[in-house]
Amino acid sequence: MTATEIIPLLSLDRVGLAFGQGRLGFGRATPFWVLKDVSFDLRHGETLGVIGRNAAGKSTLLRLLAGIITHDRGVLTNHGYTAVLLSLQTGFVPHLTGRQNAILSGLLLGLRRREIESRMEHIIEFSELGGFIDQPLTTYSSGMRARLGFSVAYQLDPDILLIDETLGVGDEEFKVKSANAMRERIRSDKTIVLVSHNAGTIRELCDRAIWIEEGVTRLVGSVEDVAAAYHAELNRRKVDHVSGVRA
Amino acid sequence: MNDCVTATARPDGQTKWHLIDPRMIDLILYKTYADLRAEAAKTYINYLWWVIDPILSMLVFYLVFGLIFQRGGEGFVPFLLVGLVIWNWYKQTLSHAGNSILAGKGLMNQVHVPKLVFPTVTLLTDLTKFGFVFVLLLIFLWLSGDGIGRAYLALPLVLAVQLLFSVALAFLLAAVVPYLPDLKFLVENLLQLQFFASGVFFSTDDISERYQFWFYLNPMASLIHDYRNILLHNEWPAWGRLSFIALLSLALLTLVVKLIQRHDRDYPRVVR
Repeated sequence: MTATEIIPLLSLDRVGLAFGQGRLGFGRATPFWVLKDVSFDLRHGETLGVIGRNAAGKSTLLRLLAGIITHDRGVLTNHGYTAVLLSLQTGFVPHLTGRQNAILSGLLLGLRRREIESRMEHIIEFSELGGFIDQPLTTYSSGMRARLGFSVAYQLDPDILLIDETLGVGDEEFKVKSANAMRERIRSDKTIVLVSHNAGTIRELCDRAIWIEEGVTRLVGSVEDVAAAYHAELNRRKVDHVSGVRA
Repeated sequence: MNDCVTATARPDGQTKWHLIDPRMIDLILYKTYADLRAEAAKTYINYLWWVIDPILSMLVFYLVFGLIFQRGGEGFVPFLLVGLVIWNWYKQTLSHAGNSILAGKGLMNQVHVPKLVFPTVTLLTDLTKFGFVFVLLLIFLWLSGDGIGRAYLALPLVLAVQLLFSVALAFLLAAVVPYLPDLKFLVENLLQLQFFASGVFFSTDDISERYQFWFYLNPMASLIHDYRNILLHNEWPAWGRLSFIALLSLALLTLVVKLIQRHDRDYPRVVR
């Protein structure tokens, strides 16, 4: 094992993050802790699944890992790796052409301009837009926008790729194609954090998983263990809810 | 926030240092280009608006002050135009850049964008548009008989100082408005006040000697006076005031850039 395989790319130790802070002066809102106590390591080459119910703090966690926002307590260590959140159609401007939007979006996602231009052929080919690439975005259908958005984001190759729920986008045919491309990317030895509230997706694609509940890591471990614990909790809540309704 | 630590170190122990991230330069330049293109594409006569819009607004001022109030007399039109062109650049820069970080909230919550990108882009789009108008102004002045004098040598310097001054104030606004959105309304009115106090449509000679010191405490009043001296009278700018404005702006800009960088990852949480 080499050093890079032992040292985690990212480690979080009791990380907490609150919203509603940072206002100047009067009217200071009470902080709302979206993440309260999150601890885990992200290892080289693994696909880490993050599972949890709605509003558990999964998306906030991804934005924290992507460096969009910062935490308020605890320690987050990044050993100098780039982490990018896969976001589609980032910065798209309606009145520009598909090509111009591809460049703009790619720049925002952290690519150099010449990198995007050298991959433009791939983008056009994958998005199947053909001659439409030089038409303004106002002439695109929502499906075409989705195809362009995905094809640009797919060119990204950061050290750590962060994915929030969606694998496939666009019309039926492209949905299958893009989802397959994502699955292929995930199964390669890229380091990936994949967020989902669907245990099936996590089971299918991940090497390890963490379960987050109300901003706290409840369990870190093998996909089977975590998914089982998550399901037990879901069932317990369902039973509680049902008996609550009956009573 | 004291117990919050983020450590960054590459496994090979090397940290890459750039004065400015080249990707950031790529992004700023292309976003400026894209914003200008997109803005033009929204209208039928596209880029022509960059010139027609200021001409129309200057026409209004000429109608009111030149014709209705019968001010000035000989040479009033060039005098007024210099003041208006310069003032409009300052005003546009401030009101656009001031809002820029707030307006970038959608984007900055999807990807990490260094927040300085936002005001820098609006700054550059406004600078581009000003460029067209300023060239038009010079052509007008030459056609109406004001030649190019030796004092033109100082023109780039005065432009640079004004740019520095507007950048410092614009970045300060951009930094603070996300935390205090209410400030926007105050700024609009303060700008209005400063407009009337900058001698756009009256000359310093109209003010009594006693108040001139106070009048020139307003950097825009001093700058507009400098432009008129250079463009209309072939006289050098007031060097002392000019250097004072430059130094003060530079100090403010340094502080504000630090402030924005320090809050870089805080803005997405504040502007949601």
